[in-house]
Amino acid sequence: MNNVSIPKVILILFIVDYIESITAPILIQAFINIPLTFLVFSFVVYRSNSNPGSIFAFFIGLYVDIISDSPIGLNAMLFCIMSHLINSYSNTFRLFSYFQICLFFSASSLFFIGFKNLFINIENFSYLELITSFIFNSFLLITLSISRFNFLRNISRR
Amino acid sequence: MSRVAPTRGSKTISFLLISFSALLLYLDTTYKSFEGIKNTYKSFEISTSYVLKKLAIDPILYIYEISSYKAYLIKENKELRLALDESHLANFIISKDSNFFANDQLIEAFIIKNGLDDIFHLAKIKFFDTQLYFCCSQHRVFIEIFNKPSIEFIGSPVINSSGILGQIIHNNNFLEVLLLTDESHVIPVESENYFCNAEGNGTTGKIYCTYSTLLWPEEIKQGQKFFSSGMGGVYPRGLLIGTVGEIKKIDESIIRFEIDLIADPLQENILGVLENL
Repeated sequence: MNNVSIPKVILILFIVDYIESITAPILIQAFINIPLTFLVFSFVVYRSNSNPGSIFAFFIGLYVDIISDSPIGLNAMLFCIMSHLINSYSNTFRLFSYFQICLFFSASSLFFIGFKNLFINIENFSYLELITSFIFNSFLLITLSISRFNFLRNISRR
Repeated sequence: MSRVAPTRGSKTISFLLISFSALLLYLDTTYKSFEGIKNTYKSFEISTSYVLKKLAIDPILYIYEISSYKAYLIKENKELRLALDESHLANFIISKDSNFFANDQLIEAFIIKNGLDDIFHLAKIKFFDTQLYFCCSQHRVFIEIFNKPSIEFIGSPVINSSGILGQIIHNNNFLEVLLLTDESHVIPVESENYFCNAEGNGTTGKIYCTYSTLLWPEEIKQGQKFFSSGMGGVYPRGLLIGTVGEIKKIDESIIRFEIDLIADPLQENILGVLENL
């Protein structure tokens, strides 16, 4: 895959943020938190052919801060860290299995949720939410990667 | 194609941007420095969604409303018609109880205008113990004639719009009417060539006849009509009293049957009084 243009990324993140704002209040009742915008941004950076710069991650993070009504700088900082990590390990990921990559992104989302809760929701900080979210996100990402793999295999058979 | 690992320069930029983000985060959480930006975005979001709703969703809803408007009108028409019927019914009952029938002046003017005194005298019910009517065997109604003519009414038949109700037996302050269903009342009735004295026994809406099959071998049928015979000189002849209801065989030769009266004293509170025959 290929580089996604900046307007497209902005639009996708806007839509994903809207979806997240709808699903989050429902899922949190089961102590599940899926940081969709963070995962989508991570996926865009991961699938990019070139290294997206830190400046790109910073401004996209600021944009997400504004549209998601988060404290300004929170998503910017986490997006910068995430893009730097993915850029640093972009070649190493090739040695990983899908399962390991899924676990990596689940762990990243776990870090994101924990860090975000420290700033936004410190009174209700919940380890149960972190553990449940980690398990659920791992399961979700693995399911998505398996279905994608099967989908590609079906296409190649035709 | 492999990606290039971050250089020292890009690492530095990343570090600086992360630090700058942390500074922004500190400023926002501590001093709320960026509330203006957030509020501007929120107002922009609200106004945009409002405009989009006006431009995109409202026209679609408007088209849908127009398409469903006819069905809505039909439904509303039905509901209104139903409400109107109920209103008519309620008004009818109210007017029957209070307005038209209680307005003596209107009724007297109606009597004079139509010359009804020549045929019968209109009277209104002054007292009717309905509890006694339903529970017991004494069925009496107290009435008052509108124009109060100086005529003796004792023994006069009392009718309503359906038929005979009974006869006047006392004239004190008000005229006391003995109804057909009272246990002490007897009315001579006939059907074809059969005559019978029908007695009330306190059952509402029914009087009873007893006959011997030795005297009248013809079979009585349910639904057979009985009329006043005029015998006894109280009631005029040929007025429909009722139809045969249940028939019971008392013994080998005695048959007792009931006549379902067509006139109900609860039907109206304005009655007619015929002068003595």
